[in-house]
Amino acid sequence: MKRRIEIGLLFSRTGSYALLSQACRDGALAAIAAVNADAGSDITFVPVERDPGGNIDLYGPYCEEILRDTSARHVIGCITSWSRKEVIPTLEKAGGTLWYPAPYEGFESSDRVVYMHACPNQHLLPLLDWALPRYGRRAYLTGSNYIWGWEINRLARETVMAAAGEVLGERYLPIGSPDIGRMIEEIRITRPDFILNSLIGRSQYRFLAAYHQLGQSDPHFRPAICPVLSCNLTECELPAIGAAAEGLIAAGPYFRGVAGPAEAPAFGSSFEAAAHDAVTELARLLAHRPGTETAGLTELLGTGRDAACTIDPETHHRTLPVLIAQSRGGVFEVIERRAEVAGDPYLSRSGPARPAPGLRVVS
Amino acid sequence: MKRRIRIQNLGGAGALILHRPHPSVQNLARQLTAIGLAVSTAWPDPGPDILAADFLFFDADMGHDAQFPWEPGGSPMPMIALIGSEAPGRVEWALGIGAHAQILKPVGDSGVYSALLIARDAFDARRELSARIADLQARLDDRKSVVQAVTLLASRGMTEADAYDELRQMAMRWRITVEAAAHRVIARLAEGGEGDGRRHSR
Repeated sequence: MKRRIEIGLLFSRTGSYALLSQACRDGALAAIAAVNADAGSDITFVPVERDPGGNIDLYGPYCEEILRDTSARHVIGCITSWSRKEVIPTLEKAGGTLWYPAPYEGFESSDRVVYMHACPNQHLLPLLDWALPRYGRRAYLTGSNYIWGWEINRLARETVMAAAGEVLGERYLPIGSPDIGRMIEEIRITRPDFILNSLIGRSQYRFLAAYHQLGQSDPHFRPAICPVLSCNLTECELPAIGAAAEGLIAAGPYFRGVAGPAEAPAFGSSFEAAAHDAVTELARLLAHRPGTETAGLTELLGTGRDAACTIDPETHHRTLPVLIAQSRGGVFEVIERRAEVAGDPYLSRSGPARPAPGLRVVS
Repeated sequence: MKRRIRIQNLGGAGALILHRPHPSVQNLARQLTAIGLAVSTAWPDPGPDILAADFLFFDADMGHDAQFPWEPGGSPMPMIALIGSEAPGRVEWALGIGAHAQILKPVGDSGVYSALLIARDAFDARRELSARIADLQARLDDRKSVVQAVTLLASRGMTEADAYDELRQMAMRWRITVEAAAHRVIARLAEGGEGDGRRHSR
């Protein structure tokens, strides 16, 4: 008789970032199916789903509903940092845990959250470290107007300035806003060496289309000279971007088709992979340990960790590989591969990856 | 002026928590460890280690002056008050002992990172201001010496304006403050007697 364990899924299947949510949901459901089909496991997961529909104000109440009305203590969910921060008080109150499958901006280490995707020392810093010597040090920074864009651009500015580079512009759009005209115009006038893109959803698609157009009329704005770099762009958004995706560069822990451990299934994107890993990791922590259904994260990670567990018990961040890939003909091709690195949310542990402040390149 | 926050150098810093064993201390220590600090705890006597701490968290409810081996307000590191009771007397004591930031008890899942940054910034700002005030105070105290030096120089036959100018030139040549130059002038002219003044080179 298997132990029946409910787990929450909190993803918006509609709204501006629905493509990312869908990918995560697919990954989580596939992993649940795999756990349930595993004859060697003593647990069965029963998904409990709530769909906030992209409405930020529904994340807290829906998370509370899951934790109050069902026996689920673990919730896989949230895409934006905003929504993650919305549910943390609820998790604290109800003793729940969120498994968060999206890349984020770091500077958080909640006792109630497992950070399954990359943070800046696993995406932004290696990406800039790779890009600055190749393309130049004159950056233009874009973002949607919320914490992801603000913090990514703040770190990027700090890194670029420390490398004696220049930030030619930094501009934000409200989430979902299509008004990309001014950004494009500033880029056209300032002619940067690269663009860091932290826009999300519709603004991002509009921006990339317009920038692609700009490249048609002026070769400076083509990927070989002035590429667009992202820390959160994956395969799941390529269909929405279409032809304008050609040449986009992204950093991430996984890209479709990258070889992993032999038994690991192939994933459509790193979002899907992270959500899948969240469920798989949770299953490993709960399996063959009756009574852990209601255990907190500290207890689960403290006593149940085996050598294969990649979650740091202190920060709840994962050790992840760093890949840099370029979109070519509709797929991401890995062009740079770096060693696995532990998540360092406060950038306080991984010294050498960051340029020393004040250090300047003398030419 | 926009202040940029330094985020690089919290890693490896040492935090001392001066509080009796308590779940709040555990939550505080967990956050500090996640941020990358080395944590130690003590109660009620911090021992000599307190002087080596980079950040000090102290109990504002049960704490008292004798726990700190320095004058109130003179801590050599940023201090963060752990406040349970918001009674005005305890807040007053925490301020008096030199709190640079505070965290409310019970300590939950967050709040420590911003407290570290705010405390360090307040500590740096306060130390810089104290140094400037001490410097200005010393200069103020030396006004008498400047007046005396100018008078001595003027008694050599220049106007007071020229004498002051001369003093400033000396300070620049010697690369010291006007006040320090005044002390030298006084030492030279006053001890050497009136007649010695002509040896003073221009």
